[in-house]
Amino acid sequence: MNATNEAGLPIMAARERLAVMGWIPPRSEYFHHVPPPAADVWLGEAEGAASAAAPAADARDGWQLDIADDASRARVDVQWLDAADPAQRKTLFSDTRAPGDSHQDRFVWAHRALCQHGLRLQVGSGHAAAADAAAAPVRLALHRSALARVEAPTLIVDVAPGTQCVLMETHDSGSVDALAQNLQIHVRVGRGARMQHLRVVTPQADSRMAHQIHVDVAGHGRYDQILIGNGSSYHQQRTELTLDSADAQAYTGAALCISGQNTLDQQVEALHGAERTLSDMQTLMLGSGRARGAVNIMTRMGRGVRDARTVQMMRGIPTGGGQPRITLRPHMEICHDAVEAEHGATWGSLPEDALFYARQRGLSEQTARALIVQGMLRAQLAHVLDDDMDLIALLGLEQYLETAVATHLAAETRKAGAAA
Amino acid sequence: MNASPLLEVKDLSVEVGGHDVLKSISLDIPTGELHVLMGANGSGKSTLGLALAGHPQFHVTAGSATLGGKDLLALPPEKRAQAGLFLSFQAPPEIPGVRNAVFVRTALNAVREARGETPLDGFDFLKSARGQSAELGLPKAMLNRPVNDGFSGGERKRNELLQLALLKPRLAILDEIDSGLDVDGVRAVTKLVANLRSQGMSFLIISHYLQMIEALEPDAVHRLDEGRIAEQGGLALAERIAETGYAREAPATAEA
Repeated sequence: MNATNEAGLPIMAARERLAVMGWIPPRSEYFHHVPPPAADVWLGEAEGAASAAAPAADARDGWQLDIADDASRARVDVQWLDAADPAQRKTLFSDTRAPGDSHQDRFVWAHRALCQHGLRLQVGSGHAAAADAAAAPVRLALHRSALARVEAPTLIVDVAPGTQCVLMETHDSGSVDALAQNLQIHVRVGRGARMQHLRVVTPQADSRMAHQIHVDVAGHGRYDQILIGNGSSYHQQRTELTLDSADAQAYTGAALCISGQNTLDQQVEALHGAERTLSDMQTLMLGSGRARGAVNIMTRMGRGVRDARTVQMMRGIPTGGGQPRITLRPHMEICHDAVEAEHGATWGSLPEDALFYARQRGLSEQTARALIVQGMLRAQLAHVLDDDMDLIALLGLEQYLETAVATHLAAETRKAGAAA
Repeated sequence: MNASPLLEVKDLSVEVGGHDVLKSISLDIPTGELHVLMGANGSGKSTLGLALAGHPQFHVTAGSATLGGKDLLALPPEKRAQAGLFLSFQAPPEIPGVRNAVFVRTALNAVREARGETPLDGFDFLKSARGQSAELGLPKAMLNRPVNDGFSGGERKRNELLQLALLKPRLAILDEIDSGLDVDGVRAVTKLVANLRSQGMSFLIISHYLQMIEALEPDAVHRLDEGRIAEQGGLALAERIAETGYAREAPATAEA
């Protein structure tokens, strides 16, 4: 990541810059399938939100960090930083990429204009770093409970070379209605390190969420992200994977559910800048009702990225009544001959043969559907975790999957009941 | 052996994709009896099993079918299963991401609940499932794998047998259970079927494999031809079919 003075621009400067550039236009390539709310929503200037961005009372800004054990605790440096303080702001955003003028970066500018606090985690830092390569993974659980109606939290995670890290990140809306949350996460995975980033983002129906994750993976490093998410009034999940060193790898797997009139816009972008880099990005989106979803997966391979490989797989499945609209968009820009690229975008239905099979064994249609849907989502995530279903159970993801599926299918049932 | 019919099929006609596949089939299977259904490819054997099980693409256009006096055709597939009907699939489908043990235990507890029995906890279920898997030659690891995902043909069939052994239905329709199985697998089939039959379970076995049919000691053999029961008999009928095939010569006509 390039450090620039602009990364830590003061609040007013960011606001002015955004005003000059303007917000995301309606026909934006990335955003037109699920257009985001206007800039004033994210800046706390929308009607009724004038005092929404009041300073958070809790210096920890709604984050709750749990470190699994003493051994892990000794290997994590934690900094809670106040972005209103110029020195701390500079520390918070040091080494992060300065936003440009792309449409997706408008969210970064809006974030800079509102951000008040941030959390920096240095994993595998200090004197223990040398022994990290052979040590057990550092296990962290990070939960965010929204504090203000409009907020722009920041999370920075540095994983030291050779370190293994498992970060479980979950969210809730707290007691906030109609939340507008613009979260920016920056992850750096050091040489030979591996980070497993497990994310559960299941906002309330009236929430407006924009989460952008900027990931840099160093040589021989690996970043895995799995995401369980559902739709809301507006929900954007964007991940940028920068693979600028040889043998860097990144895997993402998303299990997403949209129902009712909710939306979900997932964007994943892999930037290959070195030899033998690998990106594997897979998404399964289930839809019902009049929900709208978009999955944009983009790979850019620059010159000289010999033997790089990319895989893009996206599936959309309607699971019940209604006419959900799910747009699947693979993009590839390849500027080198000796690379492998694979992509698929399919729109299908639940497997009828499996559904009948389960019912023939005595399961009700509702139970059979839930089991099969949950299985599909689990399989999607297991792929990222090297098909290790035990790890999914170990990390407690089962309950999140169960809840996500139950909520999704209940929304269908309610809708069907209302229609009847 | 109790001779009261458990399964009663009367004049059953079934249409699939606009084609009449079964034409007025009648078949009774008393409790504890084992019947064999034979027939050339496309004669409607699998259709009978799937129609009785309630597959949504198999439409009954006439006739009736009862199991233990209960009208099967009025029930959704799961209620037919809970009433005691089990169908082993010729090509059991995969269910990605669903552990085999979880699937079978969920099914077993759904059936137990319908019977008014208490659900089996995970520990008791695993103990029972592991024991039964060993009997059937199914590696224990298959319980932790997703249902049929990456299973060989033989493993899929053994997995069907595992479910049969645990679910203990009243009537099992085994559709070409021997296909894909090795010699040990076929031996496991005959042993399991004999054991369950001795407990009063009834069977309709769809097979072309005489050696297995002989080992099963059927009470009756039916030959299906173009959607109709063309012949009925005992083991001798199966032996004759094995020797001469399904093609039957047209009756000789008297020449003037």
